[in-house]
Amino acid sequence: MIALKSLLSGAILSGTPLLYATLAELIAERAGIVNLGLEGVMLVGAVTAFVAMVVTGSAALGVVAGALAGAAFNAIFAFLVITRRANQLAAGLALLFCGVGLSALVGSRYVGSRIAGLPEVPIPLLSTLPGVGPAMFHHDALVYAVVPLAIATWWGLFRTRWGLALRAVGENQTAAFAAGRNPHALQYQALVVAGLLGGIAGADLSLGLAKTWAEWMTSGRGFIAVALVIFSRWHPLRAIAGALLFGGAISLEIELQAMGVPISPFLLDMLPYVLSLVVLAAWGGARRHAAPASLGRVFQRTG
Amino acid sequence: MPLIGESSGPRLARGGERLHAFGRSIGPFALGLAVFAIVLLAFGKNPLRAYVDIFTSTLGSWYGLSETLVKMIPLVLAAVAVAVPSKIWLINVGGEGQLYVGALFATWGALTLGHWPAFVVLPVMAALGVLGGGVWAALPGILRARGWVSETISTLLLNYVAILLVNFVVFGPWKDPEGVNYPQTAEFTAAATLPALGTSRVHLGLAFAAAAVLLFGFVVARTRWGLEMRAIGGNPEAARRMGLPIGRYVVLLMFIGGGLAGLAGMSEVSAVQGRLRPSVSPGYGYTGFLISWMAGGRPVAIVAAAFLLAMIAAGGDILQMTQSLPASVVNILMAVILFVVLGRRGDAR
Amino acid sequence: MIDHVTRGLGMLFVVALAIAVGTVADPAAAQTKLKVGILHVGSINDAGYNQAHAEGAQVMKKNVSEVELIEVENVPEGADAERVMENMIKQGARLIIPASFGYLEPALRVAQRYPDVKFVHPGGYKRVPNLTTYWASTPEAFYLMGIAAGKTTKTNKLGYVVALPISFFLANVNAFELGARSVNPKAETRVVFTGTFLDPGKEATAANALLEQGVDVLGVIVDSPITVVQAGEKRGAYSVGYHYVGVQKFAPKGWVSGVAFTWGNLYTRFARQVLDGTWKSENILGGLGDDYLTIAPFGPAVPEEAVKLVNATRQEFVGGKRQVFQGPIRDNKGVERVKSGEAFPLGDLRKMDWLVEGVIGQPK
Repeated sequence: MIALKSLLSGAILSGTPLLYATLAELIAERAGIVNLGLEGVMLVGAVTAFVAMVVTGSAALGVVAGALAGAAFNAIFAFLVITRRANQLAAGLALLFCGVGLSALVGSRYVGSRIAGLPEVPIPLLSTLPGVGPAMFHHDALVYAVVPLAIATWWGLFRTRWGLALRAVGENQTAAFAAGRNPHALQYQALVVAGLLGGIAGADLSLGLAKTWAEWMTSGRGFIAVALVIFSRWHPLRAIAGALLFGGAISLEIELQAMGVPISPFLLDMLPYVLSLVVLAAWGGARRHAAPASLGRVFQRTG
Repeated sequence: MPLIGESSGPRLARGGERLHAFGRSIGPFALGLAVFAIVLLAFGKNPLRAYVDIFTSTLGSWYGLSETLVKMIPLVLAAVAVAVPSKIWLINVGGEGQLYVGALFATWGALTLGHWPAFVVLPVMAALGVLGGGVWAALPGILRARGWVSETISTLLLNYVAILLVNFVVFGPWKDPEGVNYPQTAEFTAAATLPALGTSRVHLGLAFAAAAVLLFGFVVARTRWGLEMRAIGGNPEAARRMGLPIGRYVVLLMFIGGGLAGLAGMSEVSAVQGRLRPSVSPGYGYTGFLISWMAGGRPVAIVAAAFLLAMIAAGGDILQMTQSLPASVVNILMAVILFVVLGRRGDAR
Repeated sequence: MIDHVTRGLGMLFVVALAIAVGTVADPAAAQTKLKVGILHVGSINDAGYNQAHAEGAQVMKKNVSEVELIEVENVPEGADAERVMENMIKQGARLIIPASFGYLEPALRVAQRYPDVKFVHPGGYKRVPNLTTYWASTPEAFYLMGIAAGKTTKTNKLGYVVALPISFFLANVNAFELGARSVNPKAETRVVFTGTFLDPGKEATAANALLEQGVDVLGVIVDSPITVVQAGEKRGAYSVGYHYVGVQKFAPKGWVSGVAFTWGNLYTRFARQVLDGTWKSENILGGLGDDYLTIAPFGPAVPEEAVKLVNATRQEFVGGKRQVFQGPIRDNKGVERVKSGEAFPLGDLRKMDWLVEGVIGQPK
């Protein structure tokens, strides 16, 4: 029982930044744009949030600052790939490098600073439920917000006209244009939202989970998010499950260690990626692909 | 006999053209350097001093030059690894993973055959490196040839798996029994270590990189295969109708590309690190992608771009020492140059 | 663009060469000053491993006026470390402190190229005539931590977040558990490995996993203790620090104590030896009695009797009257590792790849 509680809590804690990042990438890719530099956006968000909190003492301001910084940073990427029609993969990687360097530069003066971080807010009543109560309902605001946000993303993409237009752009820009949409404007909007979410993901890492700053502290989570988008086949609700799974993998690994089970954590960690590949291959083989058709103009099926 | 008026027109136009061409070449770098200088100024550092430091530490001495070359070797190989498949518009973002698997296979060779003489062990390790990376890329190639999964996605996903595989062996079955339980393999024997040239750290991998670039250029420009590749790249439909074996090329070119990345992995563990560790590469695969892209897949430009990035990367350390800037700040310089180059291209390729 | 890259680069190269040639090459530094180069694998403000070394270097600089310090942070282990060391030597450094375990191989290689430059490496296990290895043997200190923890815990569940299952770290955790058991027979220690020396996200997750299991004293062996200590403080648990003396400010209520390195005097001695030519390569393994290993001040939660017991036991260790790993000791799989009447020698810690009874975890 303890193990399950610990696993759940761990999955939720680790999965939250992953889910924010995944939603960010998902929205961008639904609009047809691959952003390999998501990690850079997260880092910019993380350092900005951290510095903002050190300077002002306010966690709320930190999160807002992180989100805005992420959006501004992603806007550079948006300009390059939308207006200048640059190669998305190259632009994304360039964004990654820039984010790593910029965050290191900005953060170097603040390493070792102490912040209170995001305060934990126990939900009255629910958090007193035996067992799952504290595991699920004793967290900070960003953790509580992420699942509703994922649902909102799903609703936004699949139940509103904006979302429909966005997905249309992701499928076929020419057709969308002919139908009276403005592909560029929609893609810009998508990337700004993605930037906000990516910045929040970073803020959650530095203010919520670790409450500190270290160079490249995202440790590849941005890339994992890119994989997670594929794993959840571009669907926000599946992304929730995916993030819990990936986040849970990290804490499962720790749990198994604590229990003395000799399974290699690395082999376990491989499973999600291998599964993604298998699922994609199976779907692809059935001539029905889940990726937005004009994703990056690089996922063309001319083979 | 040309009239004076007639001849001055074209001459002036030529002069203007040259100026324009000059501007275009130096433009991205100049702009990149300028923006980075502004960033440095904003943080109270002296950009001029910084640039002088970078240049002198990387180019101002034989040692600096040799270090830049050492960093160049895996970058060139990783770039050609991307460039080869790109000739038929395949996108290989899996250089990192292919490098890791190549390193893995080569390490097996070193650990199993380390007691044999060098002229046996080293070629075997090189072959294993190519095999490992090649297979790791050929799998996405097959998936793409069958029309099931885009190689962009599959090579990306396999990167993670490769890194985890290396972690697995290094933390587990191949952990150095003589060490302090630290996650790394035993040290390679002298026979399994790629020799260095003279007293510098520049190693035989340089020959691999040079051969890769030269062969690549030669094959594409002067052989029948190169012709076929360019035909497929130019017009896939027509090529298919002509009967060119596209599927076979897809798998083959991915294998070759991956093999080169695997070779980079082999040279890194054998020459530079001397053993297999959890972190074999600081992102050479991704940087290689950027280099290949920036160079338009052309051999000479790949070498030039690789040199530039190697120089910038190697120059980061000196900034830490003389300017107390974090070393990774040079990533900003690299990124800005890339942004400018990206911003100028009119097409999305 | 292809041509342009090549051409642009060519022009850049020419300009660069001109600048390089025109720049005066750095002459050898005047010999009255001693340039000391120190490399850190992380940030010097990490309140942990790196800060301990950095402050030691600052003390050295203060004590020895001839010292000029060249300090570089965040140097990755491997090829980059070699390059940084070479650059320092080119700037005239005569004493190099590569402050990370993983710098050993690069340091050995550079040392062999520059026999006149002296190297001092923390935690290394191989030497050459111009490279000294030094460390303070920490298990005794961890035993004392265990006593304090054993007396402070309310749940009898102790936990450790450790980077890697390196034998030295295993020995520390073992000593901790033995110390805890000696005052609290019900104490057990759960250990979790994050797999890397610095990853705040993973450390936070590991800390939380342990706290979820009911652990109320969290120890930490990673480069920077901040994350774990804060995680513990947040949940009202107690914490035991490592590396740096000043970690208490991150856990004002729950702080127990910590094992800390104060390298200042040792580095001062090194610098003086290099200056007066008496430096020679040796393997220094200190302990509680030396001035570079200390116990951090105790926090308010630690009972007075525990503090007294710790001090008394400390004297026993220093005086040689007690051995940390005196038998009989069984590991957590039931195998007897140390027989009754014998003791596991501290000099052999490299070989310790097991965890004692009472520690829950896998030394994979």
